[in-house]
Amino acid sequence: MAKKILFVEDDEGFYNIFSVPLKMKGYDVVRVVDGNYAVEKIIVEKPDLVLLDIVLPGTSGLEILKELREREETQSVVVVMLTNFGSDENISKAMEYGANDCLMKYNIVPSELPDKIASLLGESQNFNVKVMES
Amino acid sequence: MEQTTLLNILVILESVLLLVISVILFSKTRNLTKLKKYEEEIIKIKAKKEATMGDFLPILVHELRSPISVIRGAADLLMKEANGLSADQIHTLLNQIKSSSNTLLDLVGNILDVSKMESGRFEINKSFNNIGTVLKEECSYFEPLAKIKNLTINCSIDENIMNFSFDAERVKQVLSNLISNAIKFSPDGGIITVESKKVDSYCQVSVSDVGVGIKDVEKPLLFQKFYQASNQNGIKRGTGLGLFISKGIIEAHGGKIWVENNSPKGSRFIFTLPMN
Repeated sequence: MAKKILFVEDDEGFYNIFSVPLKMKGYDVVRVVDGNYAVEKIIVEKPDLVLLDIVLPGTSGLEILKELREREETQSVVVVMLTNFGSDENISKAMEYGANDCLMKYNIVPSELPDKIASLLGESQNFNVKVMES
Repeated sequence: MEQTTLLNILVILESVLLLVISVILFSKTRNLTKLKKYEEEIIKIKAKKEATMGDFLPILVHELRSPISVIRGAADLLMKEANGLSADQIHTLLNQIKSSSNTLLDLVGNILDVSKMESGRFEINKSFNNIGTVLKEECSYFEPLAKIKNLTINCSIDENIMNFSFDAERVKQVLSNLISNAIKFSPDGGIITVESKKVDSYCQVSVSDVGVGIKDVEKPLLFQKFYQASNQNGIKRGTGLGLFISKGIIEAHGGKIWVENNSPKGSRFIFTLPMN
């Protein structure tokens, strides 16, 4: 069964460039645009991983993360903050609130995101192994 | 006796002199206090200006970096994963490159507009146009976006307004800013009303929403450069240039722009254009 990723992102551009490679690698991607509905959707959809933007309409990704960690049913969901506002304060707050990782949108190459997600989910990655014949 | 009188006179003179000196010193102190107050005000205003500029730079960087990151990301996917992408996905990514490029161009355009407005070099290109057509076009353009939030845009045109001279592209820019703000700050399911009417020798256009409204204390600041209004959760979005530019455009026409409360809730942005 395909692993499910819930992507909380209001920017159409970022959603497109990050969801396409994830879908290509077989992940089921569910999108939430308005931060106000994120926690509710996470509880209903039970994703394997949440990709969470920080600046959102409705509320902040950091507040959503905090609530997820406070609720028993979402305490252990893997959460990756994906943001363009990479201030030290935001990163340290995200880690303090319990994010599993924090990625800068302007640093990460979309085609490399699936491997990053796979390693966070503890999945084996595709390696090119060269066999040397003697 | 004479000596006593002389002494008394001297004492009185001394007292008067002391009084005069006190009054002079007191008034000098008051002036100094006033001066100090002015100096403190100037320092405060300067610090506020510097802080505003300092606050704006990270926002500008974010607004520039976002579309650039998207363009780079989409191009990367098209180059590396072309064989694995469906026709729809390729179309989505190419469209995204186009859309993000437009966003960047708009932002650069806004910064240039602000620069021209501040240096007195901003110009509009007037020609005879129909304000009703302009309003209808903008309302249609924003309908798909409004639908995402279940918002309804009502467009009410005064058919008595004849064609008159204005810069249609620039007025569309103002409408675009006001309608997109109305959508941004409206709750799901609300109504946005765009209407035109003739008021004396002016065409008056208003954009009303039923959102959270604007606090009275924020109203005088709204049209200032870099001022970002907060949404209902106190989150600030955008560059804070839209309303400043809108004001510049309307004033270049000889009109006015302002905001009122939209009873019972929401805001009403109004601008006027002279129909001479």
